Amino acid sequence: MVKKQDLLIEIGTEELPPKSLKNLAAIFREQMCLALKDEELDFSDANWYATPRRLSLIIKDVDTTQKDKKSQRKGPSLSAAFDKNKKPTQATLGFARSCNVGVEKLEKFENEKGAWLVFNTILKGKKTDKLIPKLVETILERLPIAKRMRWGNHNIEFVRPIKWTLILLGNKPLNCKILGIESGTCSYGHRYHYPDALEIKKPSEYIDTLKNKGYVIVDYDERLSLIKTQISKIAKSNKGNVIIDSELLDEVTSLVEWPVSFLGNFEQEFLKLPKEVLIATMQDNQKYFPVANDKGELMPLFICVSNIESSDLESVKRGNERVIRPRLNDAVFFWEWDLKYGLKNHHKSLSDVVYQKDLGTLHDKSERISETLISIAKKMNIDTGSAKTVAKLCFCDLLTKMVSEFPNLQGTMGYYYAKADGENDDLALALEELYQPRFAGDKLPKTLLGQCLSISEKIDSLIGIFSIGKAPTGDKDPFALRRSAIGLLRIIIECKIDIDLKDLLSTAASNFTNKNQTSNCINDVYTFLMERLRYYYRDEGFGADVFESVLAVNTNKPLDFHHRIVAVAEFKKLDEAKSLAAANKRIINLLKKSEKSTSVKIKDSLLVEKSEIKLASKLVDYKKIITPLIDNRNYKSALTELAGLKKDIDNFFDNVMVMCDEAELKKNRLAILNNLNSLFLQTADISKLQD
Amino acid sequence: MTQKKKQNPAGNSELSFQELIFELQKYWSTQECVIVQPYDIEMGAGTFHPATFLRAIGPEPWRTAYAQASRRPTDGRFGENPNRLQHYYQFQVILKPSPDNIQELYLTSLGAIGIDVKKHDIRFVEDNWESPTLGAWGLGWEVWLDGMEISQFTYFQQVGGLDCRPVTGEITYGLERIAMCLQNCADLFEIAWTRTKKGEVTYGDIYHQNEVEMSRYNFDLANTKALFNWFDTCEKESQKLIKEGLPIPAYEMAMKASHSFNLLDARGAISVTERQRYILRVRSLSNAVAQSYLESREKLGFPLVKS
Repeated sequence: MVKKQDLLIEIGTEELPPKSLKNLAAIFREQMCLALKDEELDFSDANWYATPRRLSLIIKDVDTTQKDKKSQRKGPSLSAAFDKNKKPTQATLGFARSCNVGVEKLEKFENEKGAWLVFNTILKGKKTDKLIPKLVETILERLPIAKRMRWGNHNIEFVRPIKWTLILLGNKPLNCKILGIESGTCSYGHRYHYPDALEIKKPSEYIDTLKNKGYVIVDYDERLSLIKTQISKIAKSNKGNVIIDSELLDEVTSLVEWPVSFLGNFEQEFLKLPKEVLIATMQDNQKYFPVANDKGELMPLFICVSNIESSDLESVKRGNERVIRPRLNDAVFFWEWDLKYGLKNHHKSLSDVVYQKDLGTLHDKSERISETLISIAKKMNIDTGSAKTVAKLCFCDLLTKMVSEFPNLQGTMGYYYAKADGENDDLALALEELYQPRFAGDKLPKTLLGQCLSISEKIDSLIGIFSIGKAPTGDKDPFALRRSAIGLLRIIIECKIDIDLKDLLSTAASNFTNKNQTSNCINDVYTFLMERLRYYYRDEGFGADVFESVLAVNTNKPLDFHHRIVAVAEFKKLDEAKSLAAANKRIINLLKKSEKSTSVKIKDSLLVEKSEIKLASKLVDYKKIITPLIDNRNYKSALTELAGLKKDIDNFFDNVMVMCDEAELKKNRLAILNNLNSLFLQTADISKLQD
Repeated sequence: MTQKKKQNPAGNSELSFQELIFELQKYWSTQECVIVQPYDIEMGAGTFHPATFLRAIGPEPWRTAYAQASRRPTDGRFGENPNRLQHYYQFQVILKPSPDNIQELYLTSLGAIGIDVKKHDIRFVEDNWESPTLGAWGLGWEVWLDGMEISQFTYFQQVGGLDCRPVTGEITYGLERIAMCLQNCADLFEIAWTRTKKGEVTYGDIYHQNEVEMSRYNFDLANTKALFNWFDTCEKESQKLIKEGLPIPAYEMAMKASHSFNLLDARGAISVTERQRYILRVRSLSNAVAQSYLESREKLGFPLVKS
C-alpha cells in the first residue's frame, strides 16, 4: 500500500494583477493535477487559493512515491542470439553489457511475431518529493501571463517578483529552489497585521493558521462572499441597496487579504451628474460600490473595501472621501465643458480621427453610415432627416472630455449630450443603442432608429474590414467582427427588421472609395454572416439539420429565415415528420436520376393508378391552400397542412412504380413528385431532416 | 523589518512640505542614494531627469533620489481647482538594480514621513507604466493611501527601446498629495510649505499666481507657430548631436522637443492623428539617445561597475 500525504504549495509574491489572479490560480491547479497524473501519482481533492500576495494549492492524499513498474528491454532475436555452439553471439554479449548484467540474467520472450532475448526488470517508483519541484517550476514558467517581468539582477521572469515559496508534503518541507527562490517552512501573514514569518507545520493547518494568526483569508470564494455580506449589510443599514458589478467584486476580492468594508459619503450636489458617470467614477477609478435607494436612484454614498483593520477607521474613511470629491469635481468639469461645447460641434473634428488607415477617418465612416442608414430608413418608414442627424452625431461623443476619461461611456454620453443639444428622445437613445448589443446576451436597441443605426454601423465595419483583407481567421478577430455579425443578426431577427441582407451589403459596399474591393467581398461577408447564423441557432437550441433545411432554400432575409426555421422545428415534432422527410429524400433522389429537367405539368390523362389520381388531385387542392400561407410567411401552418399529405404520399409510393418502362407515364409521375417537392421547398428542404 | 517611530522634527504638527522633502532625502540618503538636485529643463515627469532616464540604461549600478518639478500644461486649472496643477513636484527614487526588499524600503520611508501603515489602508494596485515618448515601459503599481494614489512604483523593463539589465526600480512620490494627507487639507494651495515664527507660508503663497498665469499662457497665449518651429529645431539639433556622439546635449534637445509638444497639445494645436506622429518623433530621439549613451558609457568602460 502506497503512503499518501497532503501537498501544500504556496508561491509568495509581490502584489499580483487583480484581474488575472483567479485565472492564474485556477490554471496553476489544473496544470498541477495534469502533471501529477502524468507522473502516475494519485491524489483525491485539489484546491486553489489566491490572495494579492500568494498563489497556493492544497492537493489531498498524494502518493508519496510512484508505483514500481515492470520494464522489459528487447534484445536480439533468438535465432541471432547464439551461435552453432550455443555460445552467445556478439549481439547478445553487447545487449547484456548495455543492460549491465550477465547473459544468464536474460530471458526468452515469445509471441506470434517471433522470439527474442529480453531483459526483465522492476523500475523503482520515484519519490514524489523529488518530482514536485521540477513540476512546479515548469508550470510556473508556462502560466498564461500576458506580460512577464524581470526584477533586480535576477534572470527569472514571472508575473511579479517572487518573495518566498513553501512546499510541504505531509509535514515534510521540500528542500528545493523554485525559480531561484529557496523553499522554506514558512508562509507570511498580512503585510501590515502580521508581516513576520508564519511557520506552517502541515498542509491541513495552512488555511486556519493564516486566518487566525496571519490576518489572511486565503480562500478566494470565502473572501468574496464575506465582502458581499459586508457591503450588502452596510447598504441595508443605510436604507439602500448596494450595486454589485461582478467584475468589480472579483477585482476587489483580488486586492485584499483581509477585507474590512465601510461607508463613505459625497456631496448631494454631485447627483446632478448622469448616474453612469457617478458609477464609472466610483467603480472604475476608486473600486467603490455605489448605493441606490429603493427607486433605483443613486444615493450620495459609496462603500469601500479596505485591506486593514485600521486603528483609526475614521481617518481611512475621511481619506477616501477626500479622493472621491476631486474625482467628481473633475467629472463635473468635463460635463460642463462638454455641454458648453455642444455635441454636434465635434462632427468636424471627426476627420482628425483615423478609423482604419485604409478606410479613412471616423468622419468618412459616419458619412458612409449615413448613406446606408438613409436607404434602410426609406424602406422602414423612418424620417430621413433623423437618419441623417443621427449618423452625423454618432461618433461625436468619442471626442468629448467625458468619454476620453471614461471610454466605456461611449454612446451613453452621446445620449446625454444629444438631449442637452435639444435632440428628441428617440434620436438621443439611438446614439446609445448604436453600441448594443455590447456582449453576448446583452440587450438590443429599443428604438427603430437605434436598431437601423446599429445595423448600418455593423454592416459598414464588416464590409470595410473584409475589403482590406482583415477578416477574422482562427482565433484572430482584431476588429471583433464576429461580435458585430452576431449583433447585426440578432437585431434583424429579434427586433423583426425585414431587410434583405444581400441588398444591404451592396448598398454598404457602394459607399466606400475602394468600391472594387468592397463589392468583391459581398459574398464572403454573406457567407460569414450565414456561418454566424448557424452558431446563433445552435445556441438557441435548433438542430443542425433544421438549420440546413432552411439554408438550402436560400432566403436572403434573416427574418424570413427565422420564420422558416421556427416552422421546421415545430414540424419536426409532428408524427408525420419522419416519413415525410424520408419521402422527400426519396423524391429528390428520383428527380436526380431522371436525366432531363422534370416538367411540372401533370397530364390527367396519364394518371392510371388510384393512388396517383388521388395524390394529383390533392396537389391541386393543396396548392390553393399553401400559396396564400407562404405569401403570409405562415410557414408553420403550411407545413402542418402538408403533413396531411402523408397518407396519400405513402399510398403513392406503395402502389405506384415511378420509374416504370413507359416513358410517358414515368414522366408524368416525376412531374407529380416535382410538384410535391416544390410545395415543401416553398418553406424548407425537409429532406435534410434527420432522426 | 522594524518600523521606527519617527519624531516629527517640527514638534507636534505634521511635516511641512519642505520638511517632507528633507525627510525623504535623509531617508534615502541612508539607503545609499546620491541626492541630486532638480534638473533645469522643463519636463513632464521626474523620469525624464537624466539621473533616471540615462542612468537606467546599461549595466552600471546606481542609486539616486531627488525632487523634480513636473510640468503638465494640460493639467492647468487657472489655480481654481484644489487638486490640479500644471506645475507640481515629484520625489523620485531610483534603485538599480532593484533590491529584493524594495517594497519594504518604501513602506519604511512612509513611516519616516509620519504615515502609520497600521492606521491607513495602503495598497499596491496594479499599474503598468508606459512612456511612449521615452520608449520606456515597466510593470508595477500605484500605491494607494486610503484610496489616494500617492506613489508610482515601477520595475523598468525597457528604457529608450533597450532592455533593462539589471532592472531599475523607480519610486515616484506625489509630494502635494502626500502633504495633503499628512496635513489633512482639502485644498493643495493651503499646504503649509513651511512654518515660520511669523506664521505659515503656504503652497498657494508660492505658486497660486504661477498657476493662474501659466494656465493662461499654456492654454491661450503660447505662440503655436513658434512652438512648431522650435519642435523641429530641437529635433534637428538632437539628431545632429547624436551624429556627433554627444548623447547628453542630444537628450536635452529631446526634452525640449517633448515639452514643446506638451504645450502645443494644451493649445489644442495638434490633431488626434498628428498627435501619434509627434509622440513617435520624440520616441525616435529618445531611442537614439539611449543607444548613443550606452555606447559612450561602454567606451568609458562602464566606470560605475565595481569589479
